[in-house]
Amino acid sequence: MDFDFSDDQEQLRDAVRKWVDKGYTFDRRREITSAGGFDRAAYTELAELGLCGLYVSEDHGGMGMGPVEGMVVMEELGRGIVMEPVQQALISGAVLEGYAPDALKAEWLPKIAGGEAIVVLAQQERKSRYNIHKCDAQAQQQEGQWNITGTKSVVAVGDHADAFLVPAMAAGKLALFLVAKGAKGSATSGYVTQDGARAAELTLSQTPASLVTLDGQTALSHAVDIGIASVCAEAVGVMDKTLAITVDYMNTRKQFNTTIATFQALRHRVADMKMQLELGRSMSYYASLKLNTPVAERHQAMARAKYQLGNSMRFVGQQSVQLHGGIGVTDEYIVSHYFKKLTQLEMTFGDTLHHLGEVSNSMQDTAGVFA
Amino acid sequence: MDLAFTPEELAFREEIRTWVKANLPAEISKKVHSAMRLTRDDLQRWAKILGKKGWLGWGWPEQFGGPGWTAVQKHLFEEECALAGAPRVVPFGPVMVAPVIMAFGNAEQQKRFLPGIASGEVWWSQGYSEPGSGSDLASLKTRADRVGDKYIVNGQKTWTTLGQYGEWIFCLVRTSNEGKPQTGISFLLIDMKTPGITVRPIKLLDGECEVNEVWFDNVEVPAENLIGEENKGWNYAKHLLAHERTNIADVNRAKRELERLKRIAKTEGVYDDMRFRDEISKLEVDIVALEMLVLRVLSAEKSGKNSLDIAGLLKIKGSEIQQRYSELMMMAAGPYSLPFIFEAMDAGWQGDFPGHEVSNAPLAANYFNMRKTTIYGGSNEVQRNIVAQVVLG
Repeated sequence: MDFDFSDDQEQLRDAVRKWVDKGYTFDRRREITSAGGFDRAAYTELAELGLCGLYVSEDHGGMGMGPVEGMVVMEELGRGIVMEPVQQALISGAVLEGYAPDALKAEWLPKIAGGEAIVVLAQQERKSRYNIHKCDAQAQQQEGQWNITGTKSVVAVGDHADAFLVPAMAAGKLALFLVAKGAKGSATSGYVTQDGARAAELTLSQTPASLVTLDGQTALSHAVDIGIASVCAEAVGVMDKTLAITVDYMNTRKQFNTTIATFQALRHRVADMKMQLELGRSMSYYASLKLNTPVAERHQAMARAKYQLGNSMRFVGQQSVQLHGGIGVTDEYIVSHYFKKLTQLEMTFGDTLHHLGEVSNSMQDTAGVFA
Repeated sequence: MDLAFTPEELAFREEIRTWVKANLPAEISKKVHSAMRLTRDDLQRWAKILGKKGWLGWGWPEQFGGPGWTAVQKHLFEEECALAGAPRVVPFGPVMVAPVIMAFGNAEQQKRFLPGIASGEVWWSQGYSEPGSGSDLASLKTRADRVGDKYIVNGQKTWTTLGQYGEWIFCLVRTSNEGKPQTGISFLLIDMKTPGITVRPIKLLDGECEVNEVWFDNVEVPAENLIGEENKGWNYAKHLLAHERTNIADVNRAKRELERLKRIAKTEGVYDDMRFRDEISKLEVDIVALEMLVLRVLSAEKSGKNSLDIAGLLKIKGSEIQQRYSELMMMAAGPYSLPFIFEAMDAGWQGDFPGHEVSNAPLAANYFNMRKTTIYGGSNEVQRNIVAQVVLG
């Protein structure tokens, strides 16, 4: 039982933090959003730090690191509300490493690690909400070639992605495929999301696809769990910075001839925010440290963690705006952007009510976390 | 980073588990698992069993006869005791006054008082709160005036937990009115058999007499019972608080009580009611999160690499969880938690409890009793002040 970070992990954290502080200013972020919510140049800078290949094996040009390193990176990116989708590189890197045939790995993993290819998970469908087992997209095999027909929604980076990991039903069973950008019969329609980043609707009509695995259930559930752990870590970074911004403001802003940080009603709110942050941080650690456990244990841990983080994010986000007063609801001031990011993260890979349901469904008679 | 305990820690846990299983009397653990009333004898019996093994002072260093365990070992010991259904050790002797005597008492005092605490022979009480000094403890007024080689103590303490059994009491007393209120306080050990002391139990909302008022009327206390220096008592009391960090979260007991809540919910037919079950789920996540928080503190203590200044958070969350599980237990039984049959909370009661489920008898009383947890040990509002001070400056 050890919650210390290794020296290497601390160095990784420092490197990412340095880039965020110097390379990803609020002004740059604002420009990226104005230009459509995605900046390839920024993504390339992150790839040059090695972050896109974090979960790609060294054989395929990556760093072959584990969940704790992923968590450290996502925390730091969260601190700067970075929009470029390193999280998707973690998911696609790990999923292709774990489930794809060798040829597909050799084709895509080095490009993912190097930042030349952005491969994103496209699992969301209109009727599935957060239920990953519900899938209407259909896959058929003709003369050895798989084709997919279906529509996927709110796909990260969307029209800037180079390939998509697409779950589809193959002979009644969920399978996972890779669809390259621009494949015949595919189309994307992009838009900016509430957090200022970019997503798209993806339509596939008899679109050629490469099979990742016929056991799509296992691969997709793993993909989403990696996503949950990384969202939790990202959320901790966002909340950490949100609280810091709020504390700075409260020690500066004066009303009734004194700083508002002196008012007990507000101080207690800050204590409650700190509580939510630390409970959230604890459960983010828990999620990352459980990411490599057997599937039932992993799944239960992710649900518990995302439930806690969802509550924490909503509380910290809403209260940061409230404690700022009017300035908190302006677009010009930074805190509203943190609030919107927290809001979007709560609804990414299952919202709080969804995960409460998952916790209830998987509840066991014994309470022991270790016992 | 690693969630798993080391093989050595796991072996240690196994050793504790085996010993507790062999030595904890079944009639006591049965009472604990069903929240039946524990008598003074129950508490003393378990304390003496631990004392004989040398584990009543489980947090003590070896030089004072303790086992010299690490923070993690202490945590595992507490967890095994809690899960097995051991009663909570009455903390005033081994957990509260002993560390102060070790740190600030003289050799004579250590020799005189520590053995009786370690063995469980002597029952200690705590004399901190006064009628006019609750959250603002430093305003306390109980006076100790030095006359020759004695202190003459006059005043009143209150909320003295289980003070009706107390043989000795450690008190914060005012020895000076100069300067800040904190700088005129001394730490005094008082024999409760001394003439002039009156103890009166206070009946609480659950019908139990868990706390007491203690009056001091010209009580003569030998000056040799003063711990450390006169007027430094506040520092010693603070030292005590700093050394009681993870214990206050009581996460191990919460894990045991969560299991009990699930048993009650099944018996009462609400375990599969999604609306109720979701409430259990929320509590379960709270307990996991609290456990992670506690483990982070233990890890920080173990490595000494980073310090986590979150004792206030542990107290707030731990107490809220205690209140919540007692609340849900009562709600699970619903109308069958309402009959107030005082004797039905005694083990071995032969009557027929309404609804024929006698384990429902203590649920409402426990719920009422648990309201204390957000009030004592520094109210949760005071804790929020402390947390905010750290965050906001």
